[in-house]
Amino acid sequence: MRPDNETCVQRARFFFYFFEKKDWQPGETPPLDAIIKSKTVGPEAIRNLNKFLSTRLERIAEMMEILLRAHDDWAITGKKDYVLMETETYDFTNAIRVLEQHGFHDDEFILKVEYTRKWGVL
Amino acid sequence: MANVSTAKKPTTPSGGWTDLWKLEDYWAVWLGTAIILLAILLWNEGNTFMNWISLKVPSYSHFEAAYSYIIIHTSALFALYLFFLILFSIAVKALSQEIIPFLAGFTVLFTLSVAVAVGGSWDVMKRYNLETPLLALAVGLVIGNLIKIPAWLSTALRTQFFVKTGIVLMGATLPVTLIVQAGSTAFAQATIIAAATFLSIYWAGTRIFDLDKRFAATLAAGGSICGVSASIAIGGAVKAEKHHVSIAISLVILWSIIMIFALPAAIRLLNVPPGAAGAWIGTAEFADAPGMAAAAAINEQAIKTFTLMKVVGRDMFIGIWCFIMALFSITRWDKRYEGTKPNAAEIWIRFPKFVLGFIIASIIVTFLTASAGTATSKAVYSNIISPITELRNWTFIFTFLSIGLTSRFKELTSVGWKPFAAFTAGVLINVPLGYLLSVVIMGNYWVTVK
Repeated sequence: MRPDNETCVQRARFFFYFFEKKDWQPGETPPLDAIIKSKTVGPEAIRNLNKFLSTRLERIAEMMEILLRAHDDWAITGKKDYVLMETETYDFTNAIRVLEQHGFHDDEFILKVEYTRKWGVL
Repeated sequence: MANVSTAKKPTTPSGGWTDLWKLEDYWAVWLGTAIILLAILLWNEGNTFMNWISLKVPSYSHFEAAYSYIIIHTSALFALYLFFLILFSIAVKALSQEIIPFLAGFTVLFTLSVAVAVGGSWDVMKRYNLETPLLALAVGLVIGNLIKIPAWLSTALRTQFFVKTGIVLMGATLPVTLIVQAGSTAFAQATIIAAATFLSIYWAGTRIFDLDKRFAATLAAGGSICGVSASIAIGGAVKAEKHHVSIAISLVILWSIIMIFALPAAIRLLNVPPGAAGAWIGTAEFADAPGMAAAAAINEQAIKTFTLMKVVGRDMFIGIWCFIMALFSITRWDKRYEGTKPNAAEIWIRFPKFVLGFIIASIIVTFLTASAGTATSKAVYSNIISPITELRNWTFIFTFLSIGLTSRFKELTSVGWKPFAAFTAGVLINVPLGYLLSVVIMGNYWVTVK
Protein backbone atom coordinates (compact mmCIF):
# COMPACT_ATOMS: atom_id res chain seq x y z
CA MET A 1 0.00 0.00 0.00
CA ARG A 2 1.30 3.45 -0.85
CA PRO A 3 2.16 5.53 2.21
CA ASP A 4 -0.16 8.35 1.09
CA ASN A 5 -3.06 5.93 0.68
CA GLU A 6 -4.05 5.86 4.31
CA THR A 7 -7.68 5.54 5.23
CA CYS A 8 -7.45 6.12 8.96
CA VAL A 9 -6.04 8.49 11.52
CA GLN A 10 -4.11 7.02 14.43
CA ARG A 11 -4.19 8.66 17.85
CA ALA A 12 -1.49 7.45 20.21
CA ARG A 13 -2.13 8.25 23.88
CA PHE A 14 0.67 7.93 26.41
CA PHE A 15 -0.44 7.95 30.04
CA PHE A 16 2.27 8.72 32.60
CA TYR A 17 0.90 7.95 36.03
CA PHE A 18 2.68 9.66 38.92
CA PHE A 19 2.10 7.09 41.61
CA GLU A 20 2.06 3.90 39.65
CA LYS A 21 3.97 1.97 37.10
CA LYS A 22 2.24 -0.51 34.87
CA ASP A 23 4.23 -3.44 36.24
CA TRP A 24 6.14 -3.55 39.47
CA GLN A 25 9.46 -5.34 39.23
CA PRO A 26 10.48 -7.99 41.79
CA GLY A 27 11.39 -6.25 45.03
CA GLU A 28 9.39 -3.10 44.21
CA THR A 29 6.23 -2.29 46.10
CA PRO A 30 3.72 0.43 45.31
CA PRO A 31 4.65 3.24 47.75
CA LEU A 32 1.08 4.26 48.40
CA ASP A 33 0.16 0.80 49.69
CA ALA A 34 1.75 1.62 53.04
CA ILE A 35 -0.07 4.99 53.25
CA ILE A 36 -3.57 4.93 51.79
CA LYS A 37 -6.18 3.74 54.31
CA SER A 38 -3.40 2.63 56.63
CA LYS A 39 -3.96 3.15 60.37
CA THR A 40 -0.24 2.96 61.07
CA VAL A 41 1.46 5.27 58.60
CA GLY A 42 5.05 5.64 59.62
CA PRO A 43 7.59 8.31 58.60
CA GLU A 44 9.49 5.70 56.62
CA ALA A 45 6.46 5.18 54.35
CA ILE A 46 6.41 8.91 53.59
CA ARG A 47 10.17 8.90 52.86
CA ASN A 48 9.66 5.92 50.57
CA LEU A 49 6.95 7.81 48.74
CA ASN A 50 9.20 10.85 48.45
CA LYS A 51 12.02 8.70 47.06
CA PHE A 52 9.71 6.93 44.65
CA LEU A 53 8.10 10.14 43.44
CA SER A 54 11.46 11.87 42.93
CA THR A 55 12.63 9.07 40.70
CA ARG A 56 9.27 8.51 39.03
CA LEU A 57 8.60 12.17 38.21
CA GLU A 58 12.12 12.58 36.86
CA ARG A 59 11.62 9.54 34.63
CA ILE A 60 8.29 10.94 33.40
CA ALA A 61 9.88 14.31 32.64
CA GLU A 62 12.67 12.58 30.71
CA MET A 63 10.18 10.54 28.68
CA MET A 64 8.24 13.69 27.88
CA GLU A 65 11.41 15.46 26.76
CA ILE A 66 12.35 12.55 24.51
CA LEU A 67 8.93 12.47 22.88
CA LEU A 68 8.90 16.26 22.46
CA ARG A 69 12.32 16.15 20.84
CA ALA A 70 11.21 13.37 18.51
CA HIS A 71 8.00 15.09 17.42
CA ASP A 72 6.53 18.56 17.79
CA ASP A 73 2.78 17.91 17.67
CA TRP A 74 1.55 16.69 21.04
CA ALA A 75 -1.53 17.60 23.05
CA ILE A 76 -0.42 17.43 26.66
CA THR A 77 -3.03 17.36 29.40
CA GLY A 78 -2.30 17.39 33.11
CA LYS A 79 -4.56 15.41 35.43
CA LYS A 80 -4.64 14.86 39.16
CA ASP A 81 -2.47 11.77 39.04
CA TYR A 82 -1.11 11.56 35.53
CA VAL A 83 0.04 13.41 32.44
CA LEU A 84 -1.46 12.47 29.09
CA MET A 85 0.46 13.01 25.85
CA GLU A 86 -1.53 12.51 22.66
CA THR A 87 -0.69 12.80 19.01
CA GLU A 88 -2.35 12.04 15.71
CA THR A 89 0.72 12.71 13.62
CA TYR A 90 3.41 10.40 15.00
CA ASP A 91 3.15 6.62 14.76
CA PHE A 92 3.06 4.87 18.12
CA THR A 93 5.64 2.31 16.99
CA ASN A 94 8.13 5.13 16.38
CA ALA A 95 7.37 6.66 19.76
CA ILE A 96 7.96 3.35 21.53
CA ARG A 97 11.17 2.79 19.60
CA VAL A 98 12.61 6.17 20.55
CA LEU A 99 11.74 5.63 24.21
CA GLU A 100 13.35 2.19 24.15
CA GLN A 101 16.48 3.62 22.56
CA HIS A 102 16.81 5.89 25.60
CA GLY A 103 16.41 3.05 28.09
CA PHE A 104 12.71 3.38 28.87
CA HIS A 105 10.53 0.32 28.91
CA ASP A 106 6.88 -0.18 28.26
CA ASP A 107 6.15 -0.77 31.94
CA GLU A 108 6.79 2.94 32.58
CA PHE A 109 3.82 4.21 30.63
CA ILE A 110 0.43 3.08 29.47
CA LEU A 111 -0.24 3.31 25.77
CA LYS A 112 -3.68 3.38 24.20
CA VAL A 113 -4.18 3.50 20.45
CA GLU A 114 -7.31 4.84 18.80
CA TYR A 115 -8.15 4.82 15.12
CA THR A 116 -10.72 6.96 13.36
CA ARG A 117 -11.81 7.14 9.76
CA LYS A 118 -9.91 9.55 7.62
CA TRP A 119 -12.11 12.30 6.22
CA GLY A 120 -14.39 11.04 3.46
CA VAL A 121 -14.02 7.33 4.23
CA LEU A 122 -17.37 5.62 4.46
CA MET B 1 -10.23 7.81 0.03
CA ALA B 2 -11.21 11.22 -1.16
CA ASN B 3 -8.83 13.76 -2.60
CA VAL B 4 -9.34 16.12 0.25
CA SER B 5 -7.48 18.93 1.82
CA THR B 6 -4.72 17.38 3.87
CA ALA B 7 -3.60 20.45 5.78
CA LYS B 8 -2.62 19.06 9.15
CA LYS B 9 -4.32 20.42 12.22
CA PRO B 10 -2.47 20.25 15.51
CA THR B 11 -3.53 17.41 17.79
CA THR B 12 -6.13 18.47 20.34
CA PRO B 13 -6.91 16.70 23.63
CA SER B 14 -9.51 13.96 23.36
CA GLY B 15 -12.64 12.89 25.20
CA GLY B 16 -14.90 14.45 27.77
CA TRP B 17 -18.24 16.17 27.35
CA THR B 18 -17.04 17.89 24.17
CA ASP B 19 -17.85 14.62 22.38
CA LEU B 20 -21.49 15.74 22.53
CA TRP B 21 -20.82 18.46 19.98
CA LYS B 22 -17.53 17.28 18.48
CA LEU B 23 -18.63 13.85 17.25
CA GLU B 24 -20.50 13.25 14.03
CA ASP B 25 -22.45 10.44 15.71
CA TYR B 26 -24.02 12.81 18.21
CA TRP B 27 -24.79 15.38 15.53
CA ALA B 28 -26.70 12.74 13.59
CA VAL B 29 -28.76 12.26 16.77
CA TRP B 30 -29.30 16.00 17.31
CA LEU B 31 -30.29 16.72 13.71
CA GLY B 32 -32.47 13.64 13.27
CA THR B 33 -34.31 14.27 16.53
CA ALA B 34 -34.66 17.99 15.74
CA ILE B 35 -36.27 17.19 12.37
CA ILE B 36 -38.74 14.81 14.03
CA LEU B 37 -39.63 17.26 16.80
CA LEU B 38 -39.99 20.05 14.25
CA ALA B 39 -42.35 17.89 12.19
CA ILE B 40 -44.47 17.21 15.30
CA LEU B 41 -44.45 20.86 16.33
CA LEU B 42 -45.42 22.16 12.88
CA TRP B 43 -48.19 19.58 12.54
CA ASN B 44 -49.49 20.57 15.95
CA GLU B 45 -49.57 24.19 14.77
CA GLY B 46 -51.37 23.22 11.57
CA ASN B 47 -48.36 24.18 9.45
CA THR B 48 -47.77 22.08 6.30
CA PHE B 49 -44.14 23.09 5.71
CA MET B 50 -42.80 19.54 6.15
CA ASN B 51 -45.25 18.14 3.58
CA TRP B 52 -44.35 21.00 1.24
CA ILE B 53 -40.63 20.23 1.23
CA SER B 54 -40.91 16.42 1.25
CA LEU B 55 -40.56 16.02 -2.48
CA LYS B 56 -40.54 12.79 -4.43
CA VAL B 57 -40.10 12.86 -8.19
CA PRO B 58 -42.90 10.69 -9.62
CA SER B 59 -42.17 7.93 -12.10
CA TYR B 60 -42.38 9.18 -15.70
CA SER B 61 -41.96 8.06 -19.29
CA HIS B 62 -41.43 11.40 -20.98
CA PHE B 63 -38.93 13.95 -19.79
CA GLU B 64 -41.51 16.76 -20.10
CA ALA B 65 -43.35 15.30 -17.10
CA ALA B 66 -40.21 15.44 -14.94
CA TYR B 67 -39.40 18.92 -16.21
CA SER B 68 -42.85 20.26 -15.35
CA TYR B 69 -42.65 18.62 -11.89
CA ILE B 70 -39.38 20.44 -11.20
CA ILE B 71 -40.72 23.76 -12.51
CA ILE B 72 -43.87 23.49 -10.38
CA HIS B 73 -41.86 22.58 -7.29
CA THR B 74 -38.93 24.97 -7.71
CA SER B 75 -39.74 26.93 -4.55
CA ALA B 76 -40.19 23.75 -2.51
CA LEU B 77 -36.92 22.38 -3.85
CA PHE B 78 -35.13 25.56 -2.90
CA ALA B 79 -36.71 25.40 0.57
CA LEU B 80 -35.61 21.76 0.89
CA TYR B 81 -32.06 22.79 -0.10
CA LEU B 82 -32.02 25.57 2.49
CA PHE B 83 -33.52 23.27 5.12
CA PHE B 84 -30.70 20.72 4.78
CA LEU B 85 -28.04 23.37 4.20
CA ILE B 86 -28.86 25.17 7.44
CA LEU B 87 -29.06 22.00 9.51
CA PHE B 88 -25.89 20.44 8.14
CA SER B 89 -23.99 23.73 8.31
CA ILE B 90 -24.67 24.02 12.03
CA ALA B 91 -23.19 20.56 12.53
CA VAL B 92 -20.24 21.18 10.22
CA LYS B 93 -19.41 24.40 12.06
CA ALA B 94 -19.62 22.64 15.42
CA LEU B 95 -17.36 19.88 14.06
CA SER B 96 -14.72 22.57 13.40
CA GLN B 97 -14.87 22.26 9.64
CA GLU B 98 -14.69 25.21 7.27
CA ILE B 99 -18.16 26.41 6.45
CA ILE B 100 -17.66 28.23 3.11
CA PRO B 101 -16.29 25.20 1.21
CA PHE B 102 -19.09 23.12 2.73
CA LEU B 103 -21.74 25.55 1.46
CA ALA B 104 -20.30 25.38 -2.05
CA GLY B 105 -19.82 21.60 -1.89
CA PHE B 106 -23.28 20.89 -0.55
CA THR B 107 -24.84 23.07 -3.24
CA VAL B 108 -23.21 20.91 -5.90
CA LEU B 109 -24.15 17.72 -4.03
CA PHE B 110 -27.78 18.81 -3.73
CA THR B 111 -27.97 19.77 -7.41
CA LEU B 112 -26.50 16.38 -8.39
CA SER B 113 -29.00 14.70 -6.03
CA VAL B 114 -31.93 16.39 -7.75
CA ALA B 115 -30.56 15.33 -11.14
CA VAL B 116 -30.16 11.75 -9.91
CA ALA B 117 -33.65 11.72 -8.36
CA VAL B 118 -35.07 12.86 -11.71
CA GLY B 119 -32.97 10.36 -13.67
CA GLY B 120 -33.79 7.49 -11.29
CA SER B 121 -37.53 8.07 -11.69
CA TRP B 122 -37.41 7.59 -15.45
CA ASP B 123 -39.16 4.31 -16.32
CA VAL B 124 -36.27 3.31 -18.60
CA MET B 125 -33.91 3.39 -15.61
CA LYS B 126 -36.37 1.36 -13.57
CA ARG B 127 -36.52 -1.21 -16.36
CA TYR B 128 -32.75 -1.67 -16.09
CA ASN B 129 -32.91 -1.71 -12.26
CA LEU B 130 -30.95 1.54 -12.17
CA GLU B 131 -33.27 3.36 -9.80
CA THR B 132 -32.16 6.33 -7.73
CA PRO B 133 -29.86 4.52 -5.19
CA LEU B 134 -27.79 2.60 -7.74
CA LEU B 135 -27.88 5.49 -10.21
CA ALA B 136 -26.55 7.86 -7.53
CA LEU B 137 -23.77 5.44 -6.76
CA ALA B 138 -22.93 4.84 -10.42
CA VAL B 139 -22.89 8.58 -11.20
CA GLY B 140 -20.70 9.20 -8.17
CA LEU B 141 -18.28 6.41 -9.09
CA VAL B 142 -17.93 7.60 -12.68
CA ILE B 143 -17.31 11.22 -11.67
CA GLY B 144 -15.08 10.31 -8.71
CA ASN B 145 -12.89 7.95 -10.72
CA LEU B 146 -12.53 10.17 -13.77
CA ILE B 147 -12.18 13.61 -12.21
CA LYS B 148 -10.10 14.75 -9.29
CA ILE B 149 -12.64 15.97 -6.76
CA PRO B 150 -11.74 19.45 -5.52
CA ALA B 151 -11.20 19.90 -1.80
CA TRP B 152 -14.17 22.25 -1.38
CA LEU B 153 -16.51 19.60 -2.81
CA SER B 154 -14.94 16.88 -0.70
CA THR B 155 -15.84 18.75 2.48
CA ALA B 156 -19.51 18.14 1.69
CA LEU B 157 -19.12 14.41 0.99
CA ARG B 158 -19.91 13.29 4.52
CA THR B 159 -21.09 9.77 3.77
CA GLN B 160 -21.21 8.60 7.38
CA PHE B 161 -22.94 11.71 8.62
CA PHE B 162 -25.66 11.55 5.97
CA VAL B 163 -26.39 7.86 6.45
CA LYS B 164 -26.45 8.14 10.24
CA THR B 165 -28.86 11.08 10.07
CA GLY B 166 -30.99 9.02 7.69
CA ILE B 167 -30.96 6.06 10.06
CA VAL B 168 -32.07 8.27 12.98
CA LEU B 169 -34.94 9.53 10.78
CA MET B 170 -35.75 5.94 9.91
CA GLY B 171 -36.31 5.28 13.62
CA ALA B 172 -39.45 7.41 13.33
CA THR B 173 -40.88 5.00 10.77
CA LEU B 174 -40.40 1.85 12.86
CA PRO B 175 -42.46 1.03 15.97
CA VAL B 176 -40.26 0.41 19.00
CA THR B 177 -42.00 -2.94 19.58
CA LEU B 178 -40.80 -4.09 16.17
CA ILE B 179 -37.25 -2.98 16.95
CA VAL B 180 -37.27 -5.02 20.16
CA GLN B 181 -38.88 -8.11 18.62
CA ALA B 182 -37.01 -8.21 15.33
CA GLY B 183 -33.83 -6.90 16.96
CA SER B 184 -33.38 -10.00 19.10
CA THR B 185 -33.87 -12.28 16.09
CA ALA B 186 -31.49 -10.12 14.09
CA PHE B 187 -28.89 -10.22 16.85
CA ALA B 188 -28.98 -14.02 17.12
CA GLN B 189 -28.70 -14.43 13.36
CA ALA B 190 -26.05 -11.76 12.90
CA THR B 191 -23.94 -13.17 15.72
CA ILE B 192 -23.81 -16.65 14.16
CA ILE B 193 -22.75 -15.20 10.82
CA ALA B 194 -20.32 -12.70 12.34
CA ALA B 195 -18.60 -15.40 14.41
CA ALA B 196 -18.28 -17.75 11.43
CA THR B 197 -16.98 -14.99 9.16
CA PHE B 198 -14.58 -13.65 11.76
CA LEU B 199 -13.04 -17.06 12.35
CA SER B 200 -12.81 -17.76 8.60
CA ILE B 201 -10.92 -14.55 7.85
CA TYR B 202 -8.73 -14.86 10.94
CA TRP B 203 -7.93 -18.51 10.23
CA ALA B 204 -7.22 -17.92 6.53
CA GLY B 205 -5.16 -14.82 7.35
CA THR B 206 -2.96 -16.42 10.01
CA ARG B 207 -2.78 -20.05 8.85
CA ILE B 208 -2.85 -19.82 5.06
CA PHE B 209 -1.54 -16.35 4.25
CA ASP B 210 0.78 -15.92 7.21
CA LEU B 211 -0.50 -12.49 8.20
CA ASP B 212 0.23 -10.88 11.54
CA LYS B 213 -2.36 -11.91 14.15
CA ARG B 214 -3.39 -8.34 14.87
CA PHE B 215 -3.69 -7.57 11.19
CA ALA B 216 -5.79 -10.69 10.65
CA ALA B 217 -8.05 -9.74 13.59
CA THR B 218 -8.52 -6.23 12.17
CA LEU B 219 -9.39 -7.65 8.76
CA ALA B 220 -11.71 -10.22 10.32
CA ALA B 221 -13.52 -7.57 12.36
CA GLY B 222 -14.12 -5.45 9.27
CA GLY B 223 -15.46 -8.42 7.34
CA SER B 224 -17.71 -9.75 10.06
CA ILE B 225 -18.84 -7.30 12.71
CA CYS B 226 -19.73 -3.96 11.20
CA GLY B 227 -17.24 -2.87 8.57
CA VAL B 228 -14.97 0.13 8.94
CA SER B 229 -16.17 0.91 12.48
CA ALA B 230 -15.17 -2.57 13.56
CA SER B 231 -11.78 -2.44 11.86
CA ILE B 232 -10.83 0.80 13.56
CA ALA B 233 -12.22 -0.31 16.93
CA ILE B 234 -10.49 -3.69 16.91
CA GLY B 235 -7.37 -2.21 15.31
CA GLY B 236 -7.05 0.13 18.27
CA ALA B 237 -7.97 -2.51 20.84
CA VAL B 238 -5.29 -4.95 19.66
CA LYS B 239 -2.82 -2.16 18.75
CA ALA B 240 -2.58 -3.10 15.10
CA GLU B 241 -0.24 -1.06 12.95
CA LYS B 242 -1.63 1.89 11.07
CA HIS B 243 -1.07 0.62 7.55
CA HIS B 244 -2.75 -2.66 8.49
CA VAL B 245 -5.85 -0.78 9.65
CA SER B 246 -5.77 1.25 6.42
CA ILE B 247 -5.66 -1.92 4.33
CA ALA B 248 -8.54 -3.45 6.28
CA ILE B 249 -10.63 -0.30 5.71
CA SER B 250 -9.82 -0.31 1.98
CA LEU B 251 -10.91 -3.93 1.68
CA VAL B 252 -14.15 -3.28 3.54
CA ILE B 253 -14.95 -0.42 1.16
CA LEU B 254 -13.94 -2.37 -1.94
CA TRP B 255 -16.10 -5.38 -1.07
CA SER B 256 -18.95 -3.13 0.10
CA ILE B 257 -19.11 -1.45 -3.29
CA ILE B 258 -18.95 -4.78 -5.12
CA MET B 259 -21.82 -6.00 -2.92
CA ILE B 260 -23.99 -2.95 -3.63
CA PHE B 261 -24.33 -4.22 -7.19
CA ALA B 262 -23.90 -7.97 -6.61
CA LEU B 263 -26.48 -8.46 -3.86
CA PRO B 264 -29.48 -6.80 -5.57
CA ALA B 265 -28.59 -8.72 -8.76
CA ALA B 266 -28.46 -12.02 -6.82
CA ILE B 267 -31.70 -11.17 -5.02
CA ARG B 268 -33.51 -10.62 -8.31
CA LEU B 269 -31.95 -13.73 -9.84
CA LEU B 270 -32.95 -15.91 -6.87
CA ASN B 271 -36.33 -14.18 -6.55
CA VAL B 272 -35.82 -13.45 -2.86
CA PRO B 273 -38.77 -11.61 -1.24
CA PRO B 274 -37.93 -8.03 -0.10
CA GLY B 275 -38.17 -8.66 3.67
CA ALA B 276 -35.74 -11.57 3.55
CA ALA B 277 -33.59 -9.74 1.00
CA GLY B 278 -33.09 -6.82 3.39
CA ALA B 279 -32.13 -9.19 6.20
CA TRP B 280 -29.67 -10.96 3.90
CA ILE B 281 -28.12 -7.64 2.87
CA GLY B 282 -27.94 -6.79 6.58
CA THR B 283 -25.59 -9.69 7.22
CA ALA B 284 -23.78 -9.77 3.87
CA GLU B 285 -22.93 -6.07 3.50
CA PHE B 286 -19.95 -4.72 5.40
CA ALA B 287 -20.86 -1.10 6.04
CA ASP B 288 -24.04 0.86 6.75
CA ALA B 289 -24.05 3.27 3.84
CA PRO B 290 -23.36 0.73 1.05
CA GLY B 291 -25.80 -1.68 2.68
CA MET B 292 -28.46 1.00 2.65
CA ALA B 293 -27.77 1.56 -1.06
CA ALA B 294 -28.23 -2.16 -1.79
CA ALA B 295 -31.41 -2.36 0.32
CA ALA B 296 -32.83 0.82 -1.21
CA ALA B 297 -32.35 -0.78 -4.63
CA ILE B 298 -34.92 -3.41 -3.55
CA ASN B 299 -37.72 -1.51 -1.75
CA GLU B 300 -38.90 0.13 1.48
CA GLN B 301 -39.44 -3.18 3.29
CA ALA B 302 -35.89 -4.26 2.48
CA ILE B 303 -34.62 -0.95 3.90
CA LYS B 304 -36.43 -1.71 7.17
CA THR B 305 -35.25 -5.31 7.53
CA PHE B 306 -31.74 -4.28 6.52
CA THR B 307 -31.71 -1.61 9.22
CA LEU B 308 -32.99 -4.00 11.86
CA MET B 309 -30.34 -6.58 10.96
CA LYS B 310 -27.39 -4.26 10.45
CA VAL B 311 -27.97 -1.49 12.96
CA VAL B 312 -29.81 -3.34 15.71
CA GLY B 313 -28.35 -6.82 15.17
CA ARG B 314 -24.73 -5.87 14.42
CA ASP B 315 -23.69 -2.24 14.97
CA MET B 316 -25.01 -2.01 18.52
CA PHE B 317 -22.71 -4.76 19.72
CA ILE B 318 -19.40 -3.46 18.41
CA GLY B 319 -18.36 -2.45 21.93
CA ILE B 320 -18.79 -5.97 23.25
CA TRP B 321 -16.78 -7.42 20.37
CA CYS B 322 -14.11 -4.84 21.01
CA PHE B 323 -13.93 -5.73 24.69
CA ILE B 324 -13.66 -9.44 23.91
CA MET B 325 -10.90 -8.88 21.35
CA ALA B 326 -8.93 -6.62 23.69
CA LEU B 327 -9.18 -9.28 26.38
CA PHE B 328 -8.12 -11.96 23.92
CA SER B 329 -5.24 -9.86 22.64
CA ILE B 330 -3.82 -9.29 26.09
CA THR B 331 -4.38 -12.72 27.60
CA ARG B 332 -3.66 -14.99 24.65
CA TRP B 333 -1.26 -13.25 22.29
CA ASP B 334 2.29 -12.24 22.90
CA LYS B 335 2.64 -9.18 25.07
CA ARG B 336 4.06 -6.85 22.48
CA TYR B 337 3.00 -3.31 23.28
CA GLU B 338 0.88 -4.55 26.13
CA GLY B 339 -0.32 -1.51 27.93
CA THR B 340 -3.93 -1.62 28.82
CA LYS B 341 -6.24 -3.90 30.64
CA PRO B 342 -9.52 -4.23 28.77
CA ASN B 343 -11.95 -1.79 30.24
CA ALA B 344 -15.67 -2.50 30.32
CA ALA B 345 -16.24 1.23 29.71
CA GLU B 346 -15.07 0.54 26.15
CA ILE B 347 -18.46 -1.09 25.52
CA TRP B 348 -20.12 2.30 25.96
CA ILE B 349 -17.30 4.26 24.31
CA ARG B 350 -17.60 2.11 21.19
CA PHE B 351 -21.38 2.09 21.17
CA PRO B 352 -22.53 3.83 17.96
CA LYS B 353 -24.37 6.80 19.44
CA PHE B 354 -26.55 7.37 16.39
CA VAL B 355 -28.31 4.12 17.31
CA LEU B 356 -29.58 5.96 20.40
CA GLY B 357 -31.13 8.57 18.11
CA PHE B 358 -32.70 5.77 16.04
CA ILE B 359 -34.30 4.29 19.18
CA ILE B 360 -35.34 7.69 20.60
CA ALA B 361 -36.99 8.59 17.27
CA SER B 362 -38.87 5.30 17.31
CA ILE B 363 -40.04 5.81 20.90
CA ILE B 364 -41.26 9.36 20.18
CA VAL B 365 -43.34 8.41 17.14
CA THR B 366 -44.56 5.12 18.68
CA PHE B 367 -45.77 7.03 21.73
CA LEU B 368 -47.41 9.67 19.56
CA THR B 369 -49.20 7.08 17.43
CA ALA B 370 -50.24 4.93 20.39
CA SER B 371 -51.72 7.87 22.27
CA ALA B 372 -53.77 8.98 19.27
CA GLY B 373 -57.12 7.75 17.94
CA THR B 374 -57.52 6.17 14.49
CA ALA B 375 -58.11 9.47 12.71
CA THR B 376 -55.18 11.14 14.45
CA SER B 377 -52.96 8.15 13.71
CA LYS B 378 -53.65 8.65 10.00
CA ALA B 379 -52.82 12.33 10.39
CA VAL B 380 -49.58 11.42 12.17
CA TYR B 381 -48.68 9.15 9.29
CA SER B 382 -49.41 11.66 6.53
CA ASN B 383 -48.05 14.76 8.31
CA ILE B 384 -45.10 13.35 10.26
CA ILE B 385 -44.02 9.86 9.21
CA SER B 386 -44.50 10.35 5.48
CA PRO B 387 -42.54 13.64 5.24
CA ILE B 388 -39.80 12.22 7.47
CA THR B 389 -39.55 9.19 5.16
CA GLU B 390 -39.04 11.48 2.15
CA LEU B 391 -36.46 13.59 3.98
CA ARG B 392 -34.70 10.37 4.95
CA ASN B 393 -34.66 9.33 1.28
CA TRP B 394 -32.92 12.61 0.39
CA THR B 395 -30.23 11.99 3.04
CA PHE B 396 -29.74 8.57 1.48
CA ILE B 397 -29.29 10.08 -1.99
CA PHE B 398 -26.61 12.38 -0.52
CA THR B 399 -25.06 9.26 1.02
CA PHE B 400 -25.02 7.19 -2.15
CA LEU B 401 -23.57 10.01 -4.23
CA SER B 402 -20.92 10.60 -1.56
CA ILE B 403 -19.94 6.91 -1.57
CA GLY B 404 -19.38 7.03 -5.31
CA LEU B 405 -17.60 10.37 -5.32
CA THR B 406 -15.17 9.34 -2.57
CA SER B 407 -14.35 5.78 -3.70
CA ARG B 408 -11.38 5.37 -5.98
CA PHE B 409 -10.83 1.86 -7.29
CA LYS B 410 -7.17 2.51 -8.06
CA GLU B 411 -6.51 3.26 -4.39
CA LEU B 412 -8.84 0.60 -3.01
CA THR B 413 -7.21 -2.19 -5.00
CA SER B 414 -3.62 -1.42 -3.99
CA VAL B 415 -3.72 -3.54 -0.84
CA GLY B 416 -1.74 -6.66 -1.76
CA TRP B 417 -3.18 -10.07 -2.66
CA LYS B 418 -2.78 -11.82 0.71
CA PRO B 419 -5.12 -9.59 2.74
CA PHE B 420 -7.51 -9.52 -0.21
CA ALA B 421 -7.55 -13.33 -0.34
CA ALA B 422 -8.05 -13.65 3.43
CA PHE B 423 -10.94 -11.17 3.35
CA THR B 424 -12.45 -12.94 0.35
CA ALA B 425 -12.42 -16.21 2.30
CA GLY B 426 -14.76 -14.53 4.76
CA VAL B 427 -17.01 -13.24 1.98
CA LEU B 428 -17.32 -16.80 0.65
CA ILE B 429 -18.59 -17.95 4.06
CA ASN B 430 -20.63 -14.86 4.93
CA VAL B 431 -22.78 -14.56 1.81
CA PRO B 432 -24.04 -18.18 1.51
CA LEU B 433 -24.48 -18.49 5.29
CA GLY B 434 -26.47 -15.24 5.30
CA TYR B 435 -28.67 -16.57 2.50
CA LEU B 436 -29.22 -19.81 4.40
CA LEU B 437 -30.25 -18.08 7.62
CA SER B 438 -32.10 -15.02 6.28
CA VAL B 439 -33.86 -16.57 3.30
CA VAL B 440 -34.06 -20.36 3.75
CA ILE B 441 -34.43 -20.73 7.52
CA MET B 442 -35.80 -17.36 8.72
CA GLY B 443 -37.28 -16.15 5.42
CA ASN B 444 -40.87 -16.68 6.55
CA TYR B 445 -40.24 -14.42 9.53
CA TRP B 446 -38.52 -11.61 7.65
CA VAL B 447 -41.22 -11.35 4.97
CA THR B 448 -43.71 -10.47 7.72
CA VAL B 449 -41.59 -7.58 9.05
CA LYS B 450 -42.99 -4.42 7.45
